Amino acid sequence: MAKKWIYWFEDLSSDFNDLVGKKCANLGEMTQLGMRVPPGFAVTVEGYERFMSESGAGEEIRRYVTDNRESLTQVEKQVEAGRKIRQFIESKSMPPDMAQELHRNYQTLCDRVGIPDLAVAVRSSGAVSMPGQMETYLNVKNKHELENKVIRVWGSAFTTRAIAFRLEKGMEIEKAPIGVAVLKMVNAKCAGVVLTVLPTTGDTSRVVVEGNWGLGESVVSGEITPDQFIVDKACGEYECTISAKTKMVCYHTVGTRVSDVPEKIQCEPCINPEELQEIVRVAKNVEAHFNMPQDMEWVIDADLPFPRNIFWVQARPAKFTKKKENDSEYLAELMSRVFRM
Amino acid sequence: MKVYDVVPGLEFDPERDLAQSPAWFLDATHSVPPWTPMFGWFWINFCRHGMQYGAEKLSLPTVHGWDWRFMNGGGYLTLLLVQSEEEKQRREVEFRKAILPFVQDYDGIWNGFVKEILGRYESLKSTDPEKASNIDLLQNFEETINTCRRMWEIHMYMMYGTYTAYILFENMCRELAGIDDTSPVFHKIVSGFDNKVFQVDRRLWEFSKRAEDDGLTDLFVQSEAPDIKSKLEESEKGRAFLKDFMIFMNEDGWRMQRMSEMNLPTWVEDPTPPLGMVKQFILKGGSFNLDEERKKLSNERLEAEKQVLAKVPAEQRGWFEPLMRLAQKSGVFSEEHDHYLDLYTHAMMRRSALALGRRFVKAGGLDHHEDIFFLIPDEVRKAGINPAQFDLRPIVERRKADWKQWQQTPNPPAVLREGFDLDQAMAVLVKSNDPIALKVVVGAMPQVRPELKADLYGTCGSPGIAEGPARVIMTEDELHLVQEGDILVAASTSPSWTPVFSMIKGVVVDRGASLSHAAIVGREYGIPVVMNVFEGTNKIRSGQRIKVDANLGTVYVLDK
Repeated sequence: MAKKWIYWFEDLSSDFNDLVGKKCANLGEMTQLGMRVPPGFAVTVEGYERFMSESGAGEEIRRYVTDNRESLTQVEKQVEAGRKIRQFIESKSMPPDMAQELHRNYQTLCDRVGIPDLAVAVRSSGAVSMPGQMETYLNVKNKHELENKVIRVWGSAFTTRAIAFRLEKGMEIEKAPIGVAVLKMVNAKCAGVVLTVLPTTGDTSRVVVEGNWGLGESVVSGEITPDQFIVDKACGEYECTISAKTKMVCYHTVGTRVSDVPEKIQCEPCINPEELQEIVRVAKNVEAHFNMPQDMEWVIDADLPFPRNIFWVQARPAKFTKKKENDSEYLAELMSRVFRM
Repeated sequence: MKVYDVVPGLEFDPERDLAQSPAWFLDATHSVPPWTPMFGWFWINFCRHGMQYGAEKLSLPTVHGWDWRFMNGGGYLTLLLVQSEEEKQRREVEFRKAILPFVQDYDGIWNGFVKEILGRYESLKSTDPEKASNIDLLQNFEETINTCRRMWEIHMYMMYGTYTAYILFENMCRELAGIDDTSPVFHKIVSGFDNKVFQVDRRLWEFSKRAEDDGLTDLFVQSEAPDIKSKLEESEKGRAFLKDFMIFMNEDGWRMQRMSEMNLPTWVEDPTPPLGMVKQFILKGGSFNLDEERKKLSNERLEAEKQVLAKVPAEQRGWFEPLMRLAQKSGVFSEEHDHYLDLYTHAMMRRSALALGRRFVKAGGLDHHEDIFFLIPDEVRKAGINPAQFDLRPIVERRKADWKQWQQTPNPPAVLREGFDLDQAMAVLVKSNDPIALKVVVGAMPQVRPELKADLYGTCGSPGIAEGPARVIMTEDELHLVQEGDILVAASTSPSWTPVFSMIKGVVVDRGASLSHAAIVGREYGIPVVMNVFEGTNKIRSGQRIKVDANLGTVYVLDK
């Protein structure tokens, strides 16, 4: 029997990092901590490898790289290689028994939630942090579309930088430690982030919660001014700054789009005090568990009752105070690579 | 006794120098036409020093900077490559630390250097050329030499650091957002910034308004540029105007007509060029069009920034945005350094040398004060304190004869070891990844696309399309020939050319890269610039109608 290559989040934890990638392992770990995450499953790195070998894409890439090894030191050639390799991958369809298994798990997910053709998000989940572009597809609505998007996420592992990195380290170019997360899209009333440390000052006695109407992308990307709540960890007292939120990100037929926030709720707080305290409570628990300030993303579902409406989609150690320096150092490192092309 | 080496120790020696490096390139941007001996001495010694200083201070992984030689008034240069892989890696580690200040506090570094160098200029200017003793004048000359050396250190340290960031930004735009430096979106991101050179142009425009208010319009319009000054001196209003104009010159007019030479007057000595520009502004009328253009460009820039940032994954923006800010400073630096560094220092060199030249003439050692440009510092020192004891004419005579000879026989574009061709030599430059080689010296090679049926193919320096009469300009002193609506055709341009950009519809230059003067200024004025066409000044004649499509990098001659 072929090796298991799909795992439900509740069966995962951070021990599965190499198998399913950081994002999926993290969602598993969050489940273990009692945080409510959107239901879903992980496609393992082995799923990727199996696809590459059975579809023939791996062989095509190997051949291409062997034929072009000489010229691949040039950056233009690496850009071209990325394009070619993505083409090799995206032109293949999933081997029938893999497709079947993926469809079966998707069906189980639809059944669990009770919605046929459930809208899911398909996200890349790398086992090592790889700078560059990794795709995320939102609002994917049927099994064939899902199949297609999983393949595209795999293809997205071949950015120019990733190729350069693998060449430089002498790694096999077609090997990419990439997993895929498939999870229910939450019907987001509002969404945002919570940090258990004030990023500007490094003050760990307070929590900052930021949110906007719609999906969390608008808050994470920093494109709008969200509502901000600064909550004292000890007594729960808070100050809030409610901003005029004119734009939000919503689902569209395919993917998402930016739309206008109805005028009458633009200046309304996007979460109520009850929801705020619940978000802070969970964030404090997670921080205590890891004994480290956390940077977490939450979504509030429009259809479910409190507190089942609060979902968590991300938890990671917070970068704070030293963040600026880290970005600078990273930039300095990137600048040094200019001389290596 | 052999006294005729112009740059002792750095004269080109075919046998030894070709053994050291197989290819030496003529610096055609700065040393055509050939330099006077004194200017060549300064440039070869200190530009060379600055490039090695900058490369070493930053520990550039692949290059130790450049080596220079002097040959018949031309500057020849070659890269000093880092040889072993191990050394490259060691230098890379150091580079990451050395470059950090650029990321963390770019403005602090640059403003600090500007302050430092302006302080040196003030100190040099505090010596009165008429009243100072011979000893003080010689001292001023020595200080000028040191200032020039320091200027080149700052120049190359800043240039290497700044352009490295620019190149990375180009790469990252290509990788993360799919746009390269020939894309209009990219150009929009790096334009719409004010800088010192534009501020000077603006002051000139303000003087044109003042002239109109003071009833001096007719005087400017009816006089040729060289006569304006004497005409102004004839009336009270004119004298008052001139007085304020010269105050402005003393602040910002310390620049050379030819950027890399010292034998032409500075604006302070002879304000003909800037008064000519005031006249052009009067003729043109209206507002300072750069103001409106800038407003438009900054709006477009903000839009383009958003467009690109949206394509960059959120978690990458933490470093991408500062990188973008840094790259945006490249254009500003590229223009401002000419003003604060090269032009100003060369003006100081001229000022100091001429002061000594006048003493030497008075003492009988020279026939003409400008003959001092045919001496090198050791010979100046020889006669510095006791000029009456030394006859410098024999040296001047021979050097002047040589210099005249140089003017008549163009220097070869490269000197190559036997069996080594120009393509190989260019490949070495590109492979070095030296930011100055990539962004200033070589540039991108144009793609010839026969299906476009163009007469010349170049690269995009600034996007857009324009059609109009060509105006081929070889040197700065022909700039007054440029007319409203012309398309400028030149070998390359420099800051003294900036004011004509307000009149022209487009630019074609023989050589240049995305950080060359023509590209930067073209972007600020929102006019198309096609660069690296190689033979523009050869193939196009003034008056021919031409069409430039910078987006495609093509030039069409419409009436052949």
